[in-house]
Amino acid sequence: MATGLSNSDHSGSQRSAESPPFSGTLSRIYSIGRNTFREAVRDRVLYNLVLFVLLLTGASIFLGELSGGQERKIIVDLGLSAMLLFGVFIAIFVGVGLVYKEIERRTIYAIFSKPVGRGEFIVGKYLGLCLTLLVNVTVMGAGVSLALIYVSRGWDPLVVSIWPAILLIYFELMILTAVALLFSSFSSPALSALLTFFVFIIGHFSSDLKDLGNSMGGTGARWLFRGLYYLLPNLQNLSYITPAAHGQTPPPASIPAVILYALVYIAILLSVATLIFRRRNFK
Amino acid sequence: MKQAKLTKSDVALVLIILIGLTSAVGLVRWIDRHRPATASNIEEDRLYLNTATANRVSLGFKGLVADWYWMRSLQYVGRKFLNFEGTIRLDDMGQLNLKLLPPLLDAATTLDPQFMEPFQYAAVVLPAVDKDAAIRILKKGIAANPSAWKLYHNLGFIYWQQKDFSSAREAYAQGAAIPGAPPWMEAMKARMAREGGSRDTAREIYTRMYEQAADDKVRDMARKHLMQLASMDERDALRRVIEAYKAKVGRCPSTWRDMENVLRALRVTVDATGAPLDPSGTAYVLVKDQCGVDLDPKSEVPVK
Repeated sequence: MATGLSNSDHSGSQRSAESPPFSGTLSRIYSIGRNTFREAVRDRVLYNLVLFVLLLTGASIFLGELSGGQERKIIVDLGLSAMLLFGVFIAIFVGVGLVYKEIERRTIYAIFSKPVGRGEFIVGKYLGLCLTLLVNVTVMGAGVSLALIYVSRGWDPLVVSIWPAILLIYFELMILTAVALLFSSFSSPALSALLTFFVFIIGHFSSDLKDLGNSMGGTGARWLFRGLYYLLPNLQNLSYITPAAHGQTPPPASIPAVILYALVYIAILLSVATLIFRRRNFK
Repeated sequence: MKQAKLTKSDVALVLIILIGLTSAVGLVRWIDRHRPATASNIEEDRLYLNTATANRVSLGFKGLVADWYWMRSLQYVGRKFLNFEGTIRLDDMGQLNLKLLPPLLDAATTLDPQFMEPFQYAAVVLPAVDKDAAIRILKKGIAANPSAWKLYHNLGFIYWQQKDFSSAREAYAQGAAIPGAPPWMEAMKARMAREGGSRDTAREIYTRMYEQAADDKVRDMARKHLMQLASMDERDALRRVIEAYKAKVGRCPSTWRDMENVLRALRVTVDATGAPLDPSGTAYVLVKDQCGVDLDPKSEVPVK
């Protein structure tokens, strides 16, 4: 990876154009993040958008005959679900390789030979992939909006009302990226991908964990399931696709709370990832 | 960039790909032709996932899975409909043996309880297949959406079809009490109590269904019922005209022209031969030997 931290990388006007607007830690995080984003673009991660566009175009054209007049709802369900699914795959498969690839290619030695902290490296990597996901989600959201305008033959209120759900999808993907990064900080890519996928599944079973805890007879088991319920990320709180297809938006008070929950959880995950990564010996 | 030269092995590989693709298409066609028909007991096998499991394993994609069950319901009914020899109405599909329809609609409505279209479909199609399942699904919908007056209308429709006018009245009464329910829900409640089995009640129900339906097939079914009701009124009126003619002349009319003046006075729409037209625009048939009137078999108006 070209971190953008080396003095020899920059010269003249190019340097002034690419130099980060911050200094110190923020500058280093910015450089790592920017290069992670560039690398994702170079690796053609955003090519999934082509598949997404084909899926939506096909659905817009053919759903009329199959859905009994429910094209709008199905376009939203399909579009937002595909957005989540594609995002989950990117978060998992790109996320687990973020650290591993640097170690495998031995570029990590070059990076840490410069004044870059391990925490800065983790956060920079994380933000770079989040930026990739942001571009992905925004373009997909615009695609769903256009598909809605097409099937409605004009303006449709859903074009606007789906965006809070898209925002929550993005935060769900941010959490998963942090989970992937955490696992990849100490494990192999295959195992990290598997574990992250498990967290995605369990995150959507949160209410079942709670119910299970409440229905358990033994105090120990009850506490165990309750503990798991509170410890594991509750992704159900961020899932608003189904109501969004009916034109519903999350209650205004709940959006900041859910976003705050996601941010707190991400901070925890990144802190744990940094703690583990700091103790890794690359010799 | 240097132009890549096409070697002999490249040409051989392209040929293998082309021949392979052609062979694959041919083989699939042959296999399709020789595949034994699926036994009906396998085709109608229960769903692999029960509703509760489907709800649980659909993760964050409940809406999409509900859509899939909904479209599968439509395809299932459509396939049976196409394989049926003869004509059949959407609300009279009992003879199609739609065994999988109740679990399919149950799954769609459990996964997305705010998805209104499957509830209406359940109210229209299911009673002829499984009346109890239809009522159960509608009641589940009402429990999940207590402020959706349309669901009470759908439930009232099921009871009305079963000629259970007191339950229908109760459903309309509960729906009418919901803020935002249209005034005709209240009127329907009164009508169910007073004249549940009348033609006017049927007309009112199908008119509202026609207005509310998002699905073209449901709307078409309501439209045909409305045409049928209008035609029943028209045929009653025409029979009275024929009776009056017979009483006056002493025999049945031989052509519609015989009653031309009366029909004109009644402002009945007629075609070039003077035959009155039914609501679908097809001429009524004069049954000369019985002094009666009937629908043309080619008419779009349902006979029963």
